[in-house]
Amino acid sequence: MWRVGIDVGGTFTDLYAVDSDSGSARTGKVLTTPKDRVLGVISAISEAGLSPEDIDLLVHGTTTGTNALIERSFPPAAMITTEGFRDVLEIGRMHREHLYRPYQTKPEPLIRRRNRFVLEERVNAQGVVEIPVDPVELEPIIDMLLKREIQSVAVCLINSYANPANEQAVAELLRKALPDISITMSSDVKPVFREHSRFSTTAVRAVLLPVMATYFERLEIALREKGFNGRLMILKSNGGMMSVEQARTRVEELVESGPAGGIGYASRISRMTGQTKIIHTDVGGTSFDTSVVEDGQGLITREYEIEFDIPVAVPMLDIRSVGAGGGSIGWIDEGGSLRVGPMSAGSEPGPACYGRGGNCPTVTDANLVLGRLSSDLSGKFRLDLDAARQAVGTIAEQLGISIEDCAEGMVRIATEAMAQAVKIVLASRGRDPRDYALASFGGAGPMHACAVASALQTPKVVVPHYSGVASAHGATYLNLKHDEEMFYFTVLNEAALDQVARQFEHLKARASTALLDQGATNRDVSISHVMRMRYAGQTFEVDVSVAEQTVTAKELGAIAEAFHQTHKQEFGVRSEDFPIEIVALGVTAEAPIVDAAENSAAPWPEGQGDPSERDVYFAGDWSKALVYGPNTILPGQTIAGPAVVEDAHSCIILPPGWTARADDFRNIIMEEQA
Amino acid sequence: MSGSMDQQFGDLDPVTFEVLRNTFEYVCRRMTVILQKSSFSPILSENLDFSNAIYDPELRLIGQTANCPVHLAAMHFSVQAVDRKFGIETLKPGDVVVLNDPYEGGTHLNDVTLTMPVFYDEELIGFAVSRGHWMDLGGGGPGGQGFGTHVAGEGLRLPPMKLYENYEVNADLLEILLRNTRTPHYIKGDLQAHMGALLAAEEELQTTAGKYGKDVLLNGMSQMIGYTERIVRAAIEAIPDGTYEGADYADSDGISDDKIWVRLKLTVNGDAIHVDFDGSDPQCAGAINSPYANTAAAIYTALQFFLAPDAPPNAGMFAPISFSLPEDCWLNAKWPAPVVGCTTITSGKVQSAIWQAVAKALPDLAIAPTCADANWFVAAVRGKDGRIDVFSDIPAGGWGGTPYNDGLNVTLDPLGNCTNMPAEAAELLYPIEVEAFDLRSDSGGPGENRGGLGARFRFRFIEGGELSIETSRTLEGSPGVNGGGFSPVQVLIKERPDGVRKVIGGTSEDGSWTSPLLSSHKFGPGESFEFLSTGGGGWGTVRSRDPERVLDDVLDEYITMEAAERDYLVAIDRDTMTVDEAATKRLRS
Repeated sequence: MWRVGIDVGGTFTDLYAVDSDSGSARTGKVLTTPKDRVLGVISAISEAGLSPEDIDLLVHGTTTGTNALIERSFPPAAMITTEGFRDVLEIGRMHREHLYRPYQTKPEPLIRRRNRFVLEERVNAQGVVEIPVDPVELEPIIDMLLKREIQSVAVCLINSYANPANEQAVAELLRKALPDISITMSSDVKPVFREHSRFSTTAVRAVLLPVMATYFERLEIALREKGFNGRLMILKSNGGMMSVEQARTRVEELVESGPAGGIGYASRISRMTGQTKIIHTDVGGTSFDTSVVEDGQGLITREYEIEFDIPVAVPMLDIRSVGAGGGSIGWIDEGGSLRVGPMSAGSEPGPACYGRGGNCPTVTDANLVLGRLSSDLSGKFRLDLDAARQAVGTIAEQLGISIEDCAEGMVRIATEAMAQAVKIVLASRGRDPRDYALASFGGAGPMHACAVASALQTPKVVVPHYSGVASAHGATYLNLKHDEEMFYFTVLNEAALDQVARQFEHLKARASTALLDQGATNRDVSISHVMRMRYAGQTFEVDVSVAEQTVTAKELGAIAEAFHQTHKQEFGVRSEDFPIEIVALGVTAEAPIVDAAENSAAPWPEGQGDPSERDVYFAGDWSKALVYGPNTILPGQTIAGPAVVEDAHSCIILPPGWTARADDFRNIIMEEQA
Repeated sequence: MSGSMDQQFGDLDPVTFEVLRNTFEYVCRRMTVILQKSSFSPILSENLDFSNAIYDPELRLIGQTANCPVHLAAMHFSVQAVDRKFGIETLKPGDVVVLNDPYEGGTHLNDVTLTMPVFYDEELIGFAVSRGHWMDLGGGGPGGQGFGTHVAGEGLRLPPMKLYENYEVNADLLEILLRNTRTPHYIKGDLQAHMGALLAAEEELQTTAGKYGKDVLLNGMSQMIGYTERIVRAAIEAIPDGTYEGADYADSDGISDDKIWVRLKLTVNGDAIHVDFDGSDPQCAGAINSPYANTAAAIYTALQFFLAPDAPPNAGMFAPISFSLPEDCWLNAKWPAPVVGCTTITSGKVQSAIWQAVAKALPDLAIAPTCADANWFVAAVRGKDGRIDVFSDIPAGGWGGTPYNDGLNVTLDPLGNCTNMPAEAAELLYPIEVEAFDLRSDSGGPGENRGGLGARFRFRFIEGGELSIETSRTLEGSPGVNGGGFSPVQVLIKERPDGVRKVIGGTSEDGSWTSPLLSSHKFGPGESFEFLSTGGGGWGTVRSRDPERVLDDVLDEYITMEAAERDYLVAIDRDTMTVDEAATKRLRS
């Protein structure tokens, strides 16, 4: 039986499959079908020569939810909120995206003002109901919901994190009057203070519920019709997976469903190479994504925004993107400076060398000019070198430099932008790039990986086998993962810890149950505890990991020290001058879905002949580089740059001064020589 | 661009130039990330009222992340003051000079600037500068809002002094700071955060010098200035030559009830702009005088929107723009003029006057003025246990209509880009209940593209307290341009627990008016403070606004049915909720 990972991206739908008995693997890559993404999933399976009935586990990463949000393609939803707070979604945090652009606008709110209704009700910050819900006041709102054929309602009342009674009363009345609509309570989605992020997260769930219900239903029907009888799991933004049944209701956890697989693969590299700190990078056609993996876990953030000032405050992998990819366009700005991106030629019309009508010089064109990319790209189709030279030539001429120098400049500017994105991620989390290895994924990643690593002074680069389908591949290694969170506000002291331990028990029971419901066994479930803490007076919190035993044993000093250290790591400072506050408690439950023993080394195939040679441009001059085909570097062999290593989905550039070797898992490990 | 751009960047190759351009931007961003995340006072960490910058060895601005654009040029004068005091040749690694003196490069006393020289191989390669709004530096009212007639009442005034030498803090000076504030618990933490930002910039600039060579770095800094200057000059060149007038005013200085006017003539001559403030009012008695650096910052910020919104903010912006101020002028404050409202009230009026002048020069590109106030208030609130706590916020107004779209709703004025304090965060920390922060219908100036809406902001003092606020636009709202209308006035209201409402700033129903500068206004238990901010001015005539857009605004209650008919000349059928074409035609004929 086959275990299959499928990642539906913006341009390509990638597949990786492994046979649980023999360990042999297959890959597939087809164009994404944006009008109905289910079609791409089905055709990826058949392209890989698999039959759905032979699949016992299908793990699926999807961008359907993210796309629906960005394009606002969902049926109109409504919100019921407290009088005075109708416009929380629209006012946001009151700031603007661009400092000086005079004609800027803000993203449309997910729920229009006309569909946001208010009630005279009030719960105070201590959770006391000051004004109960009046059913009479709800009646005209229910009429309006009917008239406007609203399918989904978000109930977002102020201070509901402290006491959900009024939200539950509203939900109950709505359910009676309108049994067929979806009702989402903010106290259920995210029972934590700060109305903007809670309301926004609730709105995201409310608008996506109908969209994802339709998608998952179509997907399941299409698979079952073709004989699929295995388990269908969905990747979630926290870097784990959940059953499709869970995914139907927790739709706000699907926003980073796509990239989560890549982190899964970075975690696997960690296990294979013993490298505990990894910078994950993925270069596609339009963007460069980066995140950090430590001890096999992706760093988590709660500050993610779908668009400017539209937060989704569930635990998510901290992935940042910049507009630098293979399709990024080189141009000269009004002040005469050579710029690269953020505009991209995408796949249509694509780089000039694709010969599909594009004539702007892209990073891919520049790589072709420099000989770093070969004209017969993976034997799939020929790239037009003359068109690339002509496109790059237009800006080279304006700058008064050679075409080669201009191309090398474009690549350097793009790689510097990638390196700076990594530095910002690391700096904002208090990390030093010199302590990490860089893992490079995506079709265009390995071409730039060494240059990015040099700019970061990161000593080592790892390019995995199948780097071109790393997200799909990684999906097959992830765990079931479920987060529970609750607001709990107190100053850290002995007395508080009694309560904390009790609250953790509740959270733990809820999280474990969620996993057991998805087929995990009690024995496999592991629990981690997080306390969100801050110095009194601060408005940012840090997530402090604490061992369960530390909490139950009430080791106050150990908890305080863990907080000080985490604060120092993330923000660079610590202080003994302030009391410490706890703001929220969280529990994450995880359970493996496949036997970890299967993560063994894949068999080493036969080498495929001697390297060839071609001219590649480095540092202002042409040099002869050896070109290695797939699997031609054998374990124990070390090659020196300049060199090129090509396989089916990617192309590694090894600059002068770098060496590369293959490890037992067919990862290519590259290091810069001192 | 035509022809070859050979030698565009002197002897610096274009690729290195672009890499350095990104590097300078990154250095400032990194400073900002560190300061925001590690500072202790909410005004820095939550409201982001700070800016960071780097300068070249000749004290020219190279790059800045301006969370507060109003800091933009003002920091420049602070750095020059450091030179005047010490002479840059005497500065050593690890020196940090502190300064907030309004008459020597500062703005209001709360904005404290820290300047650190950066060396590589014992040679000066630039300066790192970090400026933040410190919550309280003493004075007659919390947060500096004493509203007296002398700067001494606004807090501690710091001339340029070395707060650090050889990276060691001057303990005596720190002790003075700690003993002259209502919030000593913030000082050490915030100082540590500023230092974190400065040290990060030092490290990054030194790394860059090591990587490319010191000379390339310094050359890159010079070329960066030329680059921005070229963009700015080209943009000015595109404006028709001529002299354009603009004016705006503050309602009151809190001492007298007279309007205080900004009047200016903006002259475009080829690729240069001169702004002459002759005719603006003299220095006033109350707390809204603007020091030179603050006025300069407002001028540059206002013009940046139309000249170079995306260019690196550096000294290249300053060269093509000159201005002249009368000696005795509220925009050229001299000791001992009180200045605490300079950033939040006065900057907005300067910027609004400039935008109105720009609208005459470039009617198709201008946008209408904003609310032009930060509406900054500071409240002292009493808890059940009698303890007094201080908090502050800035309930914003709206922005003006643009040639392309309606203005932004409830967004902090151009002078800053701060964020608000969430109601649930405030209620958890302070004995208050936030009763509303929503859009105020009909508060945008009508026009083809209307002004963005202002807000209704209201909170209740559970156990009582007092509140200080400084604002304006209570006599007239934000003006429109190109035939667009005014927004309505701002109003300050006190509501008693029995529901009785009283205007405490602005115009009452009986037509009487009181100054919107309140100093320590008392509130009893259960009394609420309500502030109605105004939107932006309208752009273009209402007759050109598509009636369907007006209908949409009615459906979303951005405007009322009455305003649709009165202000937009659009009739809506109440039964079908559609545009009544015939009646609209009559109204619009």
